[in-house]
Amino acid sequence: MTDEREITLTINGTEHTLEVEPRRLLVHAIREDLDMTGTHIGCDTGNCGACTILKDGEPIKSCLMFAAQADGAEILTVEGMEDLPEATDLHPLQEGFKAEHGLQCGYCTPGMLMAGKALLDENPDPDEETIRDAISGNLCRCTGYQNIVSSIEYAADELADRTATDGGAVTAEPGDGAGPSADDAATVCGQSDCCGGPDADLFERDYPTEGTDT
Amino acid sequence: MKSAPFEHHEPTTVDEAVSLLESLDGPTILSGGQSLVPMLRFRLANPDVVVDINGIDSLDYLHEEDGYLRIGALARHADVEDSSLIDETYGSFADVAPLVADPQVRNRGTVVGSVAQADPKGDWGSILLAHDGEVIARGPDGERTIPADEFFLLPYDTTLDDNELITEVRVPTPAPREGSAYHKLKRKTGDYAMAGVAARLVLDDDDVIETARLGMTAVDITNARATDSEAHLEGERPSSELFEEAGELAAEESNPESDEHGDAGYKERMVDVLAQRALGDAAERAGLVKRRVSQ
Repeated sequence: MTDEREITLTINGTEHTLEVEPRRLLVHAIREDLDMTGTHIGCDTGNCGACTILKDGEPIKSCLMFAAQADGAEILTVEGMEDLPEATDLHPLQEGFKAEHGLQCGYCTPGMLMAGKALLDENPDPDEETIRDAISGNLCRCTGYQNIVSSIEYAADELADRTATDGGAVTAEPGDGAGPSADDAATVCGQSDCCGGPDADLFERDYPTEGTDT
Repeated sequence: MKSAPFEHHEPTTVDEAVSLLESLDGPTILSGGQSLVPMLRFRLANPDVVVDINGIDSLDYLHEEDGYLRIGALARHADVEDSSLIDETYGSFADVAPLVADPQVRNRGTVVGSVAQADPKGDWGSILLAHDGEVIARGPDGERTIPADEFFLLPYDTTLDDNELITEVRVPTPAPREGSAYHKLKRKTGDYAMAGVAARLVLDDDDVIETARLGMTAVDITNARATDSEAHLEGERPSSELFEEAGELAAEESNPESDEHGDAGYKERMVDVLAQRALGDAAERAGLVKRRVSQ
């Protein structure tokens, strides 16, 4: 029984059948067997939370579980967030991280998004302490956490606003005021006193090319 | 790093699990896996066979029955945290559940697995000790009940036999005038305790302490009771002075080791302080007015 066995994982609504050894970790199955590298491996010890996914709606660390144990499970990873019913172009949490600068290097972000998603599913109007508790299993070495808390608050407000304006119906039209969309200017981050970065001109900027060392 | 290869068995009944444990060579039981999976990956544990009990649905419970709070082997820390049973009546349980590791780990890790792991820094052992708890084990010869007092031997070593499976841990339902609490010192969320103290007090009609229990975390080679301190408390009325004396006695009974978190003397002082706080909360929950001595 050390042999590979067939398991089925439903990830972001798509069913995948794969052969895994018993020792195959869930995070490795997701990243390596299924090529979904949005779920990160940070510490490899179960401390950092970068590999957090939702398994049957609950946040868990996918480096602390064998893939075979998730046979038959419904899994959500960061790749599935923009296809959730509450997402427009991006998921409100992703909009929040963009608008509030909830990331710098971005390594912890997929796990933070999952922890935030699990929190808002359970508690749509969390206070700051509750948010901090919900992300206490996720380490961030860049932000000092404040902007991550603000990002989750942004998403909670965004979801509450929508509920108030449309009675809970989910809107899926881009550019309807529910957040920045692909059509919006890259500088629109949702803040009136936007600093202009880091996404302002990221893609338009003239990067130095080979041979220009100035 | 990957685990060494192992055989993975997934029994769906306790009987099946017990017969697997008996027939297989050197099996390791996998429940929540929040400690075991990293140990396998770092090859601190190298079993040839893993018996994964997560498919035994009959072990997934947390309820009161026949005078006990019974926690089945598949009840997760989060189940305790979310249970409507767990309120001030089970004060120490309400205190400890949100202090174990972090939310993701609490969704997978089990109370019984934590007890079975017998890490002296684990919180649940102290709770069991303070509540005169019991460990229910099933083996080839049937079921046996191990008092928590007789369960822990050494770090990661217990009186459980290799072919036995813990199906349940349980504590007696609280007496009418009983209160309990758990206080834990840790550097940050998710850390193991630097020190922790569980306290339980049962008062009689005259507010005299009938039963006192103190379980200590991370300050000895196993979770340990502070029996001198308990004896000093019993027969007395709760007071700040009494709890100060009890805290000092508990500190004397503890045997912490110096490490990067603090030297032994510091940890003893922390046992003193945590014991006083836990006793204060326990007394309050047992129905006395607030007598917390320090905050």
